[in-house]
Amino acid sequence: MDFPFPEYNLQYMLPEIFLFVWALVVISFDLLSKRNNGSTTGYLTLFGIAIAGLLLGLVGNGKGFGKMFINDNVAVFFKVIFLGAAFMAVGSSFGVMQKKIVNHRGEFYALLLMSTTGMMFLSSSQELLSIYLGLELTTIPLFAMAAFYKDDKLSVESGIKYFIIGAFSSALMVYGMSFLYGLTGSTDLAQMKVAFFKTHLQFGDMGIVMILALIMLAAGIGFKLALPPFHQWAPDVYEGAPTPVAAFLSVGSKGAGLIAFAKIFVDGLYAYHSPDMAPNDWGMLIGILAIAAMVLGNVLAIRQTNIKRMLAYSSIAQAGYIMIGMVALSASGIASVGFYLFIYLFANMGAFAAVAVFEDMTGSCQIKSYAGLARTSPFFSAVMAVFLLSLAGIPPLAGFLAKYYVFASVVDVAQRSADSSWMYWMVGIGLLTTVFALFYYANVIKVMFFSPETSPYKVEAPLPAKAVLAIGVIGVLLFGLYPEPILQFATGISSSLHFMP
Amino acid sequence: MSEYLSILIFILIGTGIVLFTFLLSRLIRPHNPYHAKNLNYECAEEPVGNSWFQFNNRFYIFALIFVIFDVEVIFLFPWAVAFGQLGLFALVEMVIFILILFFGIFYAWKKGALKWV
Repeated sequence: MDFPFPEYNLQYMLPEIFLFVWALVVISFDLLSKRNNGSTTGYLTLFGIAIAGLLLGLVGNGKGFGKMFINDNVAVFFKVIFLGAAFMAVGSSFGVMQKKIVNHRGEFYALLLMSTTGMMFLSSSQELLSIYLGLELTTIPLFAMAAFYKDDKLSVESGIKYFIIGAFSSALMVYGMSFLYGLTGSTDLAQMKVAFFKTHLQFGDMGIVMILALIMLAAGIGFKLALPPFHQWAPDVYEGAPTPVAAFLSVGSKGAGLIAFAKIFVDGLYAYHSPDMAPNDWGMLIGILAIAAMVLGNVLAIRQTNIKRMLAYSSIAQAGYIMIGMVALSASGIASVGFYLFIYLFANMGAFAAVAVFEDMTGSCQIKSYAGLARTSPFFSAVMAVFLLSLAGIPPLAGFLAKYYVFASVVDVAQRSADSSWMYWMVGIGLLTTVFALFYYANVIKVMFFSPETSPYKVEAPLPAKAVLAIGVIGVLLFGLYPEPILQFATGISSSLHFMP
Repeated sequence: MSEYLSILIFILIGTGIVLFTFLLSRLIRPHNPYHAKNLNYECAEEPVGNSWFQFNNRFYIFALIFVIFDVEVIFLFPWAVAFGQLGLFALVEMVIFILILFFGIFYAWKKGALKWV
């Protein structure tokens, strides 16, 4: 008997292989170096991520493992985002490493690298099972990382909470996937899409099993993206987890959920979201989730006194804005999602890095401890203000353009399709909630700049954290004024997600 | 529909057999409980104390290390059976797999998990 081997083409997987091996290198280095190495482990990790980025640029586009591993424009775009998120999370973790996690540096960085590897696999996979595997490899290290302060009750609580929610949502998702497999007889997304078009043309309606599968998948991915009503875990987990981990969760894990959504819904289930074919599609379901996310996230964030909880609710709202672009489901909509995520990477990682620096120095995450900070450390306060204003979407900064492109793409689609009044509602509510958003972001700035007292703290950041803050500010300012390169990069995504079979 | 009917019949008969044997053994067995019989089974040792107490968490670590070997054997077995057809490539893959698992042992050893102090 001859066993047919598929075309492996291992070279396309080089960045992932390297990252995994590097995780083992980092952990061995930490084991063998007797822990008196200061921050060498962290620098080693940063170096590894940079090399992986370089390899990613070198390998180019192609297919491996039959057709199960594809390096196309979508995959490369998201891999860049994941590597960037990992880089910035590691950069902002040096203070935490010196103060709190002294004995487990190697484990921390190795888990982070493995989670990044999972995200990269996920963005390359073209098939339900490997999507699921990538998502699990992404989240399982994050459970451990959320609970990394072993003696801190909040941190352990956040780890357990994230674990239970994560396991539950994975189960839902894999159940939904099993329905899709049962309906089409294939786990390959391209074949699935063709099969769905055929059944859709034949019957014109979804049927109960398809609706069940959609709900399961939307719930499973909704948990990962923290879309209401599946959002309750996010504030608790972000508050308890170490701040760099919360930052990595907010961008990396969200990006992983988004790419899984794009692959399964936008690509695989495209037949059920073509405006002229189906009256009952998944577009409106996701639209409702997006509206709920924008309203709940922005309104609940106003009442928060802990800045990490505030950023958690803000990230729920940001997920809502991103999902609007997904609902648009046009080339420009997908490009706007990519652009939004890229800018979100800079602004949100920057904001979390600033919070981490402040927390390392003062041990506090309360918004009121920022009072009068502009008098003692004006530069740091200005940087923080830039990040928050970009998240709020104030014009010269990149966050404004990101929101603008998302809304513009939906309006564009709504004009062209017949039954689209709900899309206008979505845009209207979205625009209204940005006003609420401005309120709580500006509140932090008000506390920092216009508070009568003078802060007792003077911010001193370690060098890597300074670098992360600088990268964030440069990204937000530069791409706000000159968005063309990122736009072009993001437009490449839509060329890879084929809209017709 | 008929395929599903056979599954239903299978489930019914399967449940029925289990229930029937329980009922039968209840009817024909002698009923004579005494103290030693009601104790927890501890490999024929007389159990000491309550079983609801804190276990040394080294047991968990040892269980985890056991899993490393266990997983290894599970994957080695089918590989060894099909080795003739798979050839060199599979050998290299298996060596990489075992090396990654051995890294786990190395890690546990260095962390002192193998010492029972």
